Amino acid sequence: MKKCIMVLLVSLLLIPSAISAQAAVELTYWTHEDPNRTEIENRYIGEFEKANPGVVIKRVTNPSKKMAERILTAFAANQGPDIFNLQIEDEYAYIINQRLAPVDPKAAGYDSMKSIYNAYIPKVLDPVTYEGSLYGLPLELTNWCVYVNDRIFKSAGLDPSRDYPKTWEDMVAVSEKIAIRQGEIIQRRGFDFRYPYYLVSMVPMVEQFGGKLISDDGKQAIVNDQAWIKFLTFMQAWGPNGKNLGSPTYTNARKLFNKDNNDMAMCLSGLYQAGRIRADNSEFYNSGEWRVIPFPKFKDAVSDSACAYYGHYLVVNAQKPKKNQAMAWKFIGYMLRHSEEYLSKVGLIQPTVTLMESATFKGMPYSDVFKKDMERGHVVYYGENSAKIQEHIRGAVESVMLSGVSPEEALKNLKRKAQETLEE
Amino acid sequence: MKKFRFKGGIESRKNRWGWVFIFPSLVFFSFFSFYPILNALYTSLFKKKLLSLKPPVFIELDNYIYLLRSPDFWNSIRATMVFTLGTFIPMVIFSLIFAQFIVSRKRFRKFFQMAYYSPAVLSSVVVAAIWLLIFDPRGLSNQLVNFIMNTPGVDHKWLANASMVQISTMLVYFWKYVGYFTIIFIVGLTSIPKSIYEAARIDGVNAWTGFWYITLPLLKPTTILVSIMAMLQCLKTFSTQYLFTQGGAPIEPINVVTLNLYNTAIRDHRIGLASAMSIILFCIMLFFTWLQFKTARSDETSY
Repeated sequence: MKKCIMVLLVSLLLIPSAISAQAAVELTYWTHEDPNRTEIENRYIGEFEKANPGVVIKRVTNPSKKMAERILTAFAANQGPDIFNLQIEDEYAYIINQRLAPVDPKAAGYDSMKSIYNAYIPKVLDPVTYEGSLYGLPLELTNWCVYVNDRIFKSAGLDPSRDYPKTWEDMVAVSEKIAIRQGEIIQRRGFDFRYPYYLVSMVPMVEQFGGKLISDDGKQAIVNDQAWIKFLTFMQAWGPNGKNLGSPTYTNARKLFNKDNNDMAMCLSGLYQAGRIRADNSEFYNSGEWRVIPFPKFKDAVSDSACAYYGHYLVVNAQKPKKNQAMAWKFIGYMLRHSEEYLSKVGLIQPTVTLMESATFKGMPYSDVFKKDMERGHVVYYGENSAKIQEHIRGAVESVMLSGVSPEEALKNLKRKAQETLEE
Repeated sequence: MKKFRFKGGIESRKNRWGWVFIFPSLVFFSFFSFYPILNALYTSLFKKKLLSLKPPVFIELDNYIYLLRSPDFWNSIRATMVFTLGTFIPMVIFSLIFAQFIVSRKRFRKFFQMAYYSPAVLSSVVVAAIWLLIFDPRGLSNQLVNFIMNTPGVDHKWLANASMVQISTMLVYFWKYVGYFTIIFIVGLTSIPKSIYEAARIDGVNAWTGFWYITLPLLKPTTILVSIMAMLQCLKTFSTQYLFTQGGAPIEPINVVTLNLYNTAIRDHRIGLASAMSIILFCIMLFFTWLQFKTARSDETSY
């Protein structure tokens, strides 16, 4: 009798937990660190969990530089998160290797696939469209323009509203005027590049000369030798063995710019940088002594290419159960319905037609400059081999800037390596 | 109550307990060292992409053939060898000098031990981050060298120049690990009986001769241990080179095998090829360890 009562009691205790275990959907969401975004997304998670009882979302942040590696390692062990975001150059391999679930339009809050494409500005969903299916929705689309510190311009006797660089040749001349050196060591730089991101900011410079990274038929890497040599010659002159205006070994320009310490007059960054200036140095932000100007082009440019734009897309792991996938798309759809808040609080552009036409977007400082530059640019090169090709370009640029290799020799090596990678 | 009894003699009993005690470490070694080595060897025979769900293709020794024909891989071998020779030889010599210096101190011995050892407890990532700031063109390294050499404004291009960046990685590694090996040498030096030196002094041996003819020969086992450990450590170097390249240093001069391996696996997703690289590195390490044992012959010293 006692035994029967015990069994009954244990069964009664186990039933509710079994039911809740059946109903619960636990989603893991891996993303990169961004304090402003963490604040609003934690709120969305709370709201979503409240509206969907039984759903638990675990948000895990990783350092931006470590994201690609951690996601890859997790997927290699078949332990990837339900939802994650990466830059498209890193994310594309997941699409073509069938590791991602296609977008579930109904769960994401759309009537059909067509309505999703109609909701976004043209071409931004192309990188995540593969063999007729859509695999991601943009968390952010970023392009870079040039941020200018007016105070440094004025201290160098320049008028920032008139003397700002329109061409790369102007950029050299203005940087020469601004640069302060102690012997060979630059104490104040006019401008410097964002060196690890060669595909985003340097390939468009080659395109301005008429060159290309990959031919239209996708069979040839490094098209138009003359354009590449002109670009490499420019970078050689920029570096420590040329005019000594900057180098990859100095502290990165974007970091110094916000501090307004009279050491960095211009840097390349996205719309989000304004929010970071406000957070890091509110005095500088509120002073109005900064501005954003378009990405320059060469005087003899044959094409008006601005910085390429890149996207972070939210995607769903195809190895998770169907109910997780559907709930993941529902959650992504819920987050992305707050695009105006993402823009105003974090400075991220989620490129929907509605947002780009909204008063919030138009009211953001210098959003018009970013929008016009985005129209001049194109999406960054993405492919399964994009990271390796970027490494080859890096090698070529570093060799002319730092190792005294001639542009012709650097190009020869770059062509060989890039072609080999493309054929792999 | 029935007592548990070992069969056989005392020696056999001791051996059984020996097996019991080493069993946990054997299990640990099998899971975390031996299995990965065998797995890497197996994977190196396949064309395998990290993200692909397709079954890997068996390609026999193609990965090894590809590597042996690849100029990039040979550059990595060169970078690894230059780094190893440039770091481990000075490290062994200087750690012995520092150890002798500390042992000969009557005061502040503990202080010096701590001072030399402290960098070894820092993580490699922190060390590389600190040195990146020091090697910045506006950083301490240029200021210090220019002050000493009276060459104001000269940029020594610690991270930019192909030769200098190799020297910089060696400096960082030397700074981090020299204290660790110094401590090992101190243990070796203090275990030499003082009576030997006293007897030699009575026979008229001075400090220098005593070091050459007593200390060095009796320190042979420690020297072999330190040189093998230092060499293996140098062959496996990764984080300094990785963080320096992330910080803007050119990759080619410091693209050591481990860094190349990491990029091949993580950036290019070619895990089969990366496994082949790791097996080649393993063989190189095995060969040099064997060579050191072979050239040192006897490592046993009796006092």
